[in-house]
Order: sequence, then structure tokens, then C-alpha cells
Amino acid sequence: MSSEYAVELSGVGKRFQRMADRRNTLKERLVRGRSRNSQDFWAVRGVDLQIPTGSVYGLIGHNGSGKSTLLKLITGIYRPTEGQITTEGRVAALIELGAGFHPDMTGRENIRLNGSILGLSKSEIEAAMETIIDFSGLREFIDDPVKYYSSGMYVRLGFSVAVHMRPDVLLVDEVLAVGDEEFQRKCFDHLYTLRREGRTIIVVSHGLGQLEGLCDEVAWLDHGEVQDIGPPTDTIASYLQRVNAAEAMAGAVAAAARGDDTMRAGTGVIRCTAARLVDRGGTHLQHAETGRTFGIEVDMHCYEEILGPNLRFAFQHESGALVTMMSNHRHGFDFGYISGEKTATANLTNNPLLPGRYRVHIDLFDYTGSVLIDNWDDALEFTVRSERGEIGQGFVELPYTYTIR
Amino acid sequence: MKRPRLPAMLQDLYRQRALVWAFANRDFATRYRSSLLGWAWSLLQPLVTLLVYAAVFSLVFRIQAPPLGSDPDRTSFAAFLFTGMVTFNLFSGLLMLSMTQLKSNGELLRKVHFPAWTPILGASVVQLIQVALELLVLIAMFMWLGNIGISWLLAVPILIATALFGQGIGLMLSVVNARYGDVQYIVQAVLQALYFLTPILYPLSLVEGTANWLANIVKANPLTWFVEAMHQVMYLLVTPDWWVIPGLLLFGFLTFWAGFTIFNRTSEDIGELL
Repeated sequence: MSSEYAVELSGVGKRFQRMADRRNTLKERLVRGRSRNSQDFWAVRGVDLQIPTGSVYGLIGHNGSGKSTLLKLITGIYRPTEGQITTEGRVAALIELGAGFHPDMTGRENIRLNGSILGLSKSEIEAAMETIIDFSGLREFIDDPVKYYSSGMYVRLGFSVAVHMRPDVLLVDEVLAVGDEEFQRKCFDHLYTLRREGRTIIVVSHGLGQLEGLCDEVAWLDHGEVQDIGPPTDTIASYLQRVNAAEAMAGAVAAAARGDDTMRAGTGVIRCTAARLVDRGGTHLQHAETGRTFGIEVDMHCYEEILGPNLRFAFQHESGALVTMMSNHRHGFDFGYISGEKTATANLTNNPLLPGRYRVHIDLFDYTGSVLIDNWDDALEFTVRSERGEIGQGFVELPYTYTIR
Repeated sequence: MKRPRLPAMLQDLYRQRALVWAFANRDFATRYRSSLLGWAWSLLQPLVTLLVYAAVFSLVFRIQAPPLGSDPDRTSFAAFLFTGMVTFNLFSGLLMLSMTQLKSNGELLRKVHFPAWTPILGASVVQLIQVALELLVLIAMFMWLGNIGISWLLAVPILIATALFGQGIGLMLSVVNARYGDVQYIVQAVLQALYFLTPILYPLSLVEGTANWLANIVKANPLTWFVEAMHQVMYLLVTPDWWVIPGLLLFGFLTFWAGFTIFNRTSEDIGELL
């Protein structure tokens, strides 16, 4: 392990045949002949990557961008159609944990088998055995057949085996999202340990926040081509910019006009007619961003003059949880007498919502707070993103400070 | 692309012996783990076949086995038949098992990079145990008949040659079968035909008295060579011509070498084929 780069790809491309065009039986092959190449597509093409020895390298990109194909090329499962790949030392992949496990065999037997498949000698496996069992935390069950394991236990054993095989290059594909919180922590700690030992780690993940903390360098793939390579913060930021722009192009407007709905509840003295997301200047927004002030505007049509109604917004997270409720009464803001066409705006200063998808339900009560005037469920649905790439742990970012004594 | 160099193959085989062994262990542990009498059951099918065939062909068709080597006045159709069956089953068992191994290890081959022939050879190691059991039954049969001879020792190289032959063909066809799933059914049908075109259920002399073309087919069938050699050393207790066994070994070895080479050339994209 003296060379500068653990993995080097130059001009790597991989072409696949579309499944629909493949001859899967001899008869088809004989009757229809060789398939033409017109149906081929390039999963990755023209990829140049130099992954320094001892670094943690991240790969990002949307689904189908070629990340996993690239990992399979590096492990040697796929051969590149064009270009060159050179790797230094033993490459181990966490592409799917426990892929080689046999359900009828015990945990211990599976460790032995998996170790052999990953290229270890018998003595190396036996030397690592106790460490693996301890790390997995499955000592109690290690001599039971793995078919009795829960899926979490399965993954824990798989991870333990793979990382203790002392790979020079470790490929991690989306597997950090499994296992309970404690085990995930353990995995991360172990990845940091491997990094300290000078081993090279290549991580594919959608957890941009995770990558930002872990990686030395990140490459962004799109349609099988490298879009950007650089420090994690920069690459992730340019990736998110593209994602956000794409969403805007797709016309996912976070605004809604209300159709005529005779079934709606409330007295109907006021009807909410439209709602939308706006920025400080009143421009429509397609999505909100964590930490950036935005507003929700509601158009109201008042059939009579009315005194001090209470306009409420309930925020529901995509997980179904009610995040919070905003109310002008609770906030001590009085609309006074209103009539005709009115537009009310609720401003969320330094938007504390973390990235995710949210729904807004709107209702309107009279000044006593006991008589429902109008009710509009699912008035808006919008996405909160983060330019800084942090990942949502929960729903909101609380205002806080730290001190130390 | 690898050149078909002999040292390279032997080196590969030696280097991966631990992995082959690991797969053999897996298959051994899982094959009959759920049933206590697993290995005994594995003998049931060949023994029932033996009984039925022996009854039908000796009693109904009245086929006469040649006289036993130890006693020219006695014959045993069952022993004659089983000698051929063991040899043929060694070949066909390795062939059929090898052909399905890539598919059954597909999950693994799609996700981890390792020599794809290792699970095939691992499975074959376990299959050899099954053959050894059948061989024990055969030996017991001959001992009971009192048909024992020093020529038995020659069965070892003949069976090794048979195994190499079956394994070689198995390696050749396994990648094709992974690509086109219907190959194994064709092979199965061909094997069935070969079973009757090999002097297993009848002595070779019987077919020589029939149509010329049929006799030629039977004699051209390589399995006839292996089965006939086995009949000679186990049943007739005679030593074949000096060139027969070296010839069979060479033939078996060349087939295996060709199979291994073809396998390595065609299995390079196995990760995406499966």
C-alpha cells in the first residue's frame, strides 16, 4: 500500500443490454438471432476518478445515476466496457450485507464461509472470529442458524464480517441506514477507526449529512457521468442546487387555489380561496429552505365584515406527525375588522423546519375561538430542503446556544 | 483474456482450495441437515432404480450378464448393472449439479467478486461423497458374491477419469445454462438417451449383434469406454489393455482442462448475467 491512489479509474464506461432485449432462452436466441446493439445503454461513461489511499470518498447522485454500477466495477463484479480500473490491495464490498449467508448455517459457520469468499485464509478468519462476534453483539445466538435471526441481526453480522476482514479498500453502499441507532453509531465509529488505520473507504449514500461529516472528497454522478468532484460541502451544495432547480422546472409549485367545495365545514362567513409559499419579497416559492425566512399567504373572501378571526395553520410532517400549529390569537395578533378580499401572511422567521415534506391544514375561527368559520385540510404540501445538506433528524431546528463552564 | 496455460490452472485450483472447501462444507452441512438419515436417503433412489431395472431387465427382457470373474458358472445381473450405474451416475451427477450451481449461487455472484467456479467444485466435492456411498454398496455386493480381485484397485483411476470428464463438461455448460436456462433440460434429455446408449443395462456384446449403426453409436459414446473399463476391473476382474486407463485419464483430464478454460473465458461477465 505504498501507491498514492488506492483506486484509479480512467475513462471507465459500462454498457448494458436492456433486459427486454436479452435472449433468455436458446429458442429465442435461435429464432431471433443475435440482438442488435441499438438497445444498449451506458450506465456509466467517461468516468475518471482518483481515490487517494487512506481517504474516505463519497459518491452522490439520484437513483439510477450509476453509483452502484461504479461500485460493482471497482469490486470487479462487472468488467468495464471501456477504460481502465486499477485497485491496490484487497477490496471488500458492503454492497448487500450478508449476501453470502446461508440460512441453514449457524452464525459462526457463516462467518467462516463469508470470510473465505472475501478471500481470507482459515487462520485469518479464526483470528478475527472473536472480534467479529463481539462487534456484532450476537454472541448468544452465534451458534444458531441465521434463518432464526431478525433482519437487523442479519445485517449486523454481515457488517461485522465485512469490516473485520481488514480490507484495504472498503466499499459501502447505502447500508449505513440499517440497524438500530446504537449499531449505526458503532458502524460509524468503526469506519472512522478504519480511516485512522489508513484504509480507503468509498461510501455511496443519500444521507448527505452523513457524507459531509465523514468524507474527504465527494464525487457527484448524474446519468453515469461525473458532474463535480471536490470537498464534500462544495459538491453537495452544487448537487442540491441542481436538485432544487430540477424540482422547480418540474413545476412542483407549492401553491394551491381552492376549488368550489359546497361540503366544507364552518359558517362560511369567510372562505379561504388560495394559499401559497412566498419569500420575504412576496415572490412565489417552490420549496422552503431550512434557516431561510419564508411566508405562507392565504387569500380570503369575506362575505360580511367580521371582527378579529383566528387563522390557524397546522403543520403535518410526511411521517404523519403534527409538528406545530400557528395561530394569530396565540401570537397576540389581532386582524381587527376585516371585509372583502384580504390576504393574510404568516411569516416563519429563519424557517426552523428541517428537510422533509410537510402539509399545511388551515382553519379559521371567530374571535371567541369557538365557532368554526372555515376549514381547509391539505391546503398546501411543500418540501423543505437544505442548501447546507444537513439531514433531518426530527422535524425542527430549535433555537439554541451552548455554554461550557 | 486468460490463455489456456496448464500451470495457471493448477495454480488457480491450489490457491482457491480453501474457498472450494468452504463451499463444500456449506453444501455438506446444508444438504441433509434437516433429516437425520439424510445420507441413507440419498442411497434410496439409486437402490430402488437398481431393484426395478434388475427385475425388469433380467426377468422380463431376460438379459444375461456375463459370467463373474471369480466364478465363470455364475452371473449377477444386479452387480453388473450397478457397476455401470455407479459410473454413469458419477458422470451425470457432477454434470447436472455443476450446471445449476451458478444459478443457485447467483445472489452471491451478483454481489461479491470471487472465482465463479469455486462453488461448482465445492458442490462436486459433496457429490463425490454420495458416489463413495454408492461405491461402498457396490463393493459390499461383490464381496457378498465373493467376486473380489486385485484389479479393483484400477477402479480408482477410472473413476477419477470419469469425474474429471463429467466435471469438464459441467464447467463447459454451466455458463451457457446460466445464460439460457433451458440448456439443462436439453442436457437432461441427452443424458437419458445416453443412459440407454451405454452398456449399463446390457452387456456390450449384446449390442454388437444388432444393427451396425447402433453398435457404432454405443461404441463411440465416451461413457461406454468408462463403463466398460469399470465392468472389466470390478465385475470381470481382468486388467484392461495397458493403454486404456492412461488413455481415459488423459481424456478426462483434457476435458477438464478445456472445461476450466472455457468456463473462465465465458464467466467473466457472470455478475451481470445472473
